Amino acid sequence: MPLDNLTPENGPVPLRAYVALVLVILFFSGWFADSASWLGFMDFNAVNGQFGKIGNVTFVGKGGFGARYGFLFALSLIPGIMLALGVVAVAEREGALHAAQRMLTPFLRPILGLPGVVGLALIGSLQSSDAGAVMTRQLREKHLLTDDESSIFGAFQFSSGGTIINYLTQGLALFPFLSVPYIKPLGVILLCKVLGCNVMRLYLYLAAARKQGAAE
Amino acid sequence: MSRKSMYGTFVEGMRSGWTLGTMQLLPNMVMAFALIQILNKIGLLEVLGKVFGPLMGFFGLPGEAVTVLLTAWLSAGGGVGAAAGLYTHGTLNGTHVSILIPAIFLMGAQLQYVGRILSVAGINSRHYKMLMLIGLLNALLSMLIMRWLVL
Repeated sequence: MPLDNLTPENGPVPLRAYVALVLVILFFSGWFADSASWLGFMDFNAVNGQFGKIGNVTFVGKGGFGARYGFLFALSLIPGIMLALGVVAVAEREGALHAAQRMLTPFLRPILGLPGVVGLALIGSLQSSDAGAVMTRQLREKHLLTDDESSIFGAFQFSSGGTIINYLTQGLALFPFLSVPYIKPLGVILLCKVLGCNVMRLYLYLAAARKQGAAE
Repeated sequence: MSRKSMYGTFVEGMRSGWTLGTMQLLPNMVMAFALIQILNKIGLLEVLGKVFGPLMGFFGLPGEAVTVLLTAWLSAGGGVGAAAGLYTHGTLNGTHVSILIPAIFLMGAQLQYVGRILSVAGINSRHYKMLMLIGLLNALLSMLIMRWLVL
């Protein structure tokens, strides 16, 4: 993911950025999965389509195992990965990341104990673990984050780094097998990341309290 | 903001999908499917299944599912591949895969991420152990939540 797309912008977020954010979330959420109308184009799986059948099965076949089967299975996933990253790139171009950052900022302090300035790095870290890490370092060097705050932020980024892109590109391999809509496990991942952040917050709070107790 | 056309952006995103798919996902999958086959041939899969049966049973999973978590700890892509391999092998079903999928990412690639995330971000190294522990706790918690969600 190019880092220049993630540099902070302080100007107003245009309406189309919010529209792009809502559309991309709907596209991957499966909201229109059962829609028989023209709105069906708004569903990732519908656009991803199907492979043709050879006999009763796709080219991946039936009964394969081992490295050879792994190869064909992985090959069958590549169109979906390409489509997912293409759509994400367009949403990003339209400013969806900035819209997400703007919407998240007021919640960062109460929910994660982090200053609003980390908004962009946080959204960036969901896209790419490397982008998130580099942006955190920059915030640290500009003294916009304390040592404790960066550790709390670290807890968010370290567990399931690059969440959204990794889930859509690697997790996608398991989507056909899931017994729940694939958006649900993603929600659980995000929830656990937030909880983990708060465990770190509590740990640092208790450590500071103990240190103070010892000093008195 | 990029000056590229929407079409150009779309194609460029797809190209990065091709690179990710062929350079990362595909080798990880081939490796994981081969690994499952090796474990199966030497009988270790069955042993792991028996040894970890009671522990994994707590999360509504068969003992063999521990292979997915161990592989995921080294590489999330490997964990995904192990889960797909065990599904194909008939050891895991859709419910099991659903319970496992968040954990694969939450505890995924910890060793790699110490270098790529924690050290790059300049996180105080005193907290590395705690951060790794939190990743594992997140994974365990996610399996309990998913178990409840798939009921």
